[in-house]
Amino acid sequence: MTDRDWREQVQALLGRATKLEAGEAKVMALEEAARLADIHGDTGMAFEVRGALIEAATFGGFPDRALVAFAWCRGQQQKNPQRFPEEPLLWKQKWVVGRLDEFPHVSRKQIEAALDDAEQCFARAGAGQRAMLKLRYQTARDMGDTALAESFWARWVEAPRDHLTDCRACDLDDELDHHIDRGEYAVVLEKARPLLEGRYGCAEVPHLTLGSVLYPLFKQGRLEEARNAHLHGYALVRRNQEFLATVGEHLEFLALTGNVEHGLRLFARHLGWALGHPSHRDRFTFLAAALFLVEQALDAGREREELALPRAFPLYAPEGTYSLRALRDWLAAQAEGLAAKFDARNGTTRFKELLFRTRRMREEVHPFPIPFPG
Amino acid sequence: MGHRFQVNLRGIIDLLSHHLYSSPGVFVRELLQNATDAIRARRHLEPDHQGEIRVELIEKQDGGLPTLFFSDDGVGLTEEELHRFLATIGESSKREALEARRNDFIGQFGIGLLSCFMVCDELLVVTRSARGDGRTVEWRGRHDGTYTARTSEHPLERPGTQVFLVARPAAAEYFTPERVRQLASHYGGLLPFPIHLTAAGHTEHLNPTPPPWRQEYASASERRAALLAYGREVFDTEFVDCIPLHSEAGGVEGVAFVLPFSPHFHTKQKHRVYLKGMLLSESAENLLPDWAFFVRCVVDAQGLRPTASREAFYEDATLARARESLGQSLRQYLVELATEEPRALQRLIALHGLSVKALALDDDDFFRLVIHWLPFETTLGMMTLESYRQSFPTVYYVTTLDAFRQVARVAAAQGLGIINGAYTHDTALLEKLPRVLPDAQVELFSPSRLAQRFEEPTAEELEAVERLLHVARAALEPFGCEVSLKKFLPAEVPTLYGDVDDGAFRRDLERARQESDALYAAVLEGALTEEREEERPQLCFNLLNPVVCRLARVRSSEQLKLSVEMLYVQALLLGHRPLRAQELALLNRGLLGLIAAGLDEDDAGTGEVH
Repeated sequence: MTDRDWREQVQALLGRATKLEAGEAKVMALEEAARLADIHGDTGMAFEVRGALIEAATFGGFPDRALVAFAWCRGQQQKNPQRFPEEPLLWKQKWVVGRLDEFPHVSRKQIEAALDDAEQCFARAGAGQRAMLKLRYQTARDMGDTALAESFWARWVEAPRDHLTDCRACDLDDELDHHIDRGEYAVVLEKARPLLEGRYGCAEVPHLTLGSVLYPLFKQGRLEEARNAHLHGYALVRRNQEFLATVGEHLEFLALTGNVEHGLRLFARHLGWALGHPSHRDRFTFLAAALFLVEQALDAGREREELALPRAFPLYAPEGTYSLRALRDWLAAQAEGLAAKFDARNGTTRFKELLFRTRRMREEVHPFPIPFPG
Repeated sequence: MGHRFQVNLRGIIDLLSHHLYSSPGVFVRELLQNATDAIRARRHLEPDHQGEIRVELIEKQDGGLPTLFFSDDGVGLTEEELHRFLATIGESSKREALEARRNDFIGQFGIGLLSCFMVCDELLVVTRSARGDGRTVEWRGRHDGTYTARTSEHPLERPGTQVFLVARPAAAEYFTPERVRQLASHYGGLLPFPIHLTAAGHTEHLNPTPPPWRQEYASASERRAALLAYGREVFDTEFVDCIPLHSEAGGVEGVAFVLPFSPHFHTKQKHRVYLKGMLLSESAENLLPDWAFFVRCVVDAQGLRPTASREAFYEDATLARARESLGQSLRQYLVELATEEPRALQRLIALHGLSVKALALDDDDFFRLVIHWLPFETTLGMMTLESYRQSFPTVYYVTTLDAFRQVARVAAAQGLGIINGAYTHDTALLEKLPRVLPDAQVELFSPSRLAQRFEEPTAEELEAVERLLHVARAALEPFGCEVSLKKFLPAEVPTLYGDVDDGAFRRDLERARQESDALYAAVLEGALTEEREEERPQLCFNLLNPVVCRLARVRSSEQLKLSVEMLYVQALLLGHRPLRAQELALLNRGLLGLIAAGLDEDDAGTGEVH
């Protein structure tokens, strides 16, 4: 391959990537471009391409690929800080570090080390505490350390904004979790209003928000609004596996409102994402919701179901008929397995409790028919 | 009697012009909306009332500022209602509150009037209510927040409302005959009540015909021609075809135009939508199902709710049902093409294959109808699934570009067709095949298995290459690569590197670990340990290749090992696999070794001569 050839190929791949929607194809095109640059020893190009790759992987549902690309950039940065300054990597570091806890094989100690390291990097860049406090809050929350999470939350929301903090829409959306955890549903809905009314928005808001408010709306008896949030929100997230957990929230909502048939179709459509999803936390959210849904289907007297499940599914049946009991057992084993791994790593019981919460939802079911959006 | 608004009027006007409206020109829409609402309200009282709207531009001969005059014969307002709208506006200092007011007649009337202050400083409203005591009320408002309201000395002969706007000097551009005509036709061209515009001494009926999809035509082809001409006029595009749209839910009617080019599949098509005949938006996005991005449409809806920005419809259950029905209209069109004009469908697939594929994915019956006409990229070129299946009873596919690149050349040389499933929807469509057509055989193809299909060497040949195999296995073991030896075409390919599904990513991961610092190397180690698969990549030597045949006869084990290692590195690089640290060392060592070996030979040769 001549020098010109491969540079043209890289440019063609980059061009192709910009035209693709968020997702695997886009990530793969950028990975291919990075490999070409690597083969030809063009570190500068390889570094630049990986910048785009980290972003595409983060927003396209491949946090593992973002992590690998970041680790490579980080290595170059450390070896040659003159050529590759730290600052432009910080924003990406935030994306990557914020998701480490979603891989159960990454140890607690490693997560803490990565957080401490990020804190030092941010401090060197003259950033305030806000971005770090949020990262620490979210990590502690995800890992089930409630007391620690609460203390970081209180400090985070009071810390002033600066050039490395997330956009207002994201920050506001992330604030909702705290109130959801505490069952403050009215507060959630009040705080979410500017996001739902479209006054603030970004690449992931209101996509995420419309999933988060489903349960609060349901609990407040605002079913029509919940249905609209479902229809609107699902349309926004259905094409990007980055939103697997949000799809899980939609499944849970459909099960809660007795829309089992509709829910099963969504489950079948998105199970493929869950099977290979790099974020095991998002897998858990989806599978736990699916478990609840299938339990609902069984309660409704369904036994066997025609479902278009993907080939990678371990119980895959080419003719497409599945026993719901077998499905339930498989989902339960998966969800419990993930919960056990996370709880063991975290040294807490959060995931077991999340499963328990899902199991208790049977008592909250309140039928409210919703048309299938197609 | 002079009144003052309860609120800072300038603030509200600012709010309107900066946050609610895209351009000052929308005051024409607002006045038409008010007139329309008033006529509809009057029809509630008097079902036989026809209703009409008159617009007149009065230009001064002396060069003074022009005046615009709007009048309708709608329900009119009583004095009490006039005061009420001012009061409601007083409460509406927020955008959301203003929006909420739009839902009632009086509120909308007030907001509509206020929008006029974007282009004028003073407004005169003369109105007589069909419900009141027959009095005519006159309201004169100024942009500074003062107004007067009183019984008019020039009573109107019949109920209705007249609005007079004197142009603000800076906004005189909105008060020319061309501009007024353009704005009024733009917003009100589909209104069901006649609009007459008088300007420059000439009166014109701006909306003499109903929307083209509601007109009668002598024949289907005439209808098609008329609709396509309309599409050309609206979107300035020569469309391929037009499809009537209809939905009970939301009361939607209109026409979809088939684009003459393939759009990027993440471009949202911007549709022109009317709400009860009034133009709502030229860029509504959420009207059709996701898959239907091959059309742009014009529709009029009777019962959908606009969002605050008035740029789209509010996402509610009615819209979901309407979207479903409109999707059905489009689907019906495709089904008719499939059954009656398959050639036309094939042309459409060539342009809009992605839309058709997306629909086929969600819809089994449609899938059955079109799947065989859909084109796929294969190792033997583009072909429809039908022609592929005629040659290959089992459908083989790979899911990534990388895998496709690995197998493409060799598979093509073998005459083996493998489908590239890396494009949007293709893998999902193929995996759906056996579910919908139970006789179809579909198999995922792994590049590491390509070698299994090659011709095995005979026992004799195998014996001759036994040492090569042995040395190669030992040499490549440290790199986690297995070795096999087969006979395959093309003969000029010495080896084939077949990787496992996520092999490329695993190598990226390992290289990143080697390149990164201690902290991230450890983090990646955590990620690496998970779910390691048993399957390993494979280097398959081609016994039909002359170099490989010669290698089998090399006596020096050292030389043989070196050659094997170099073939391995070459295979990696040809397969776009950047080298890991240990492979890079191999390459460096190997190059030196080969040069040294070459020099030795040369030395030996020189020795003979002397």
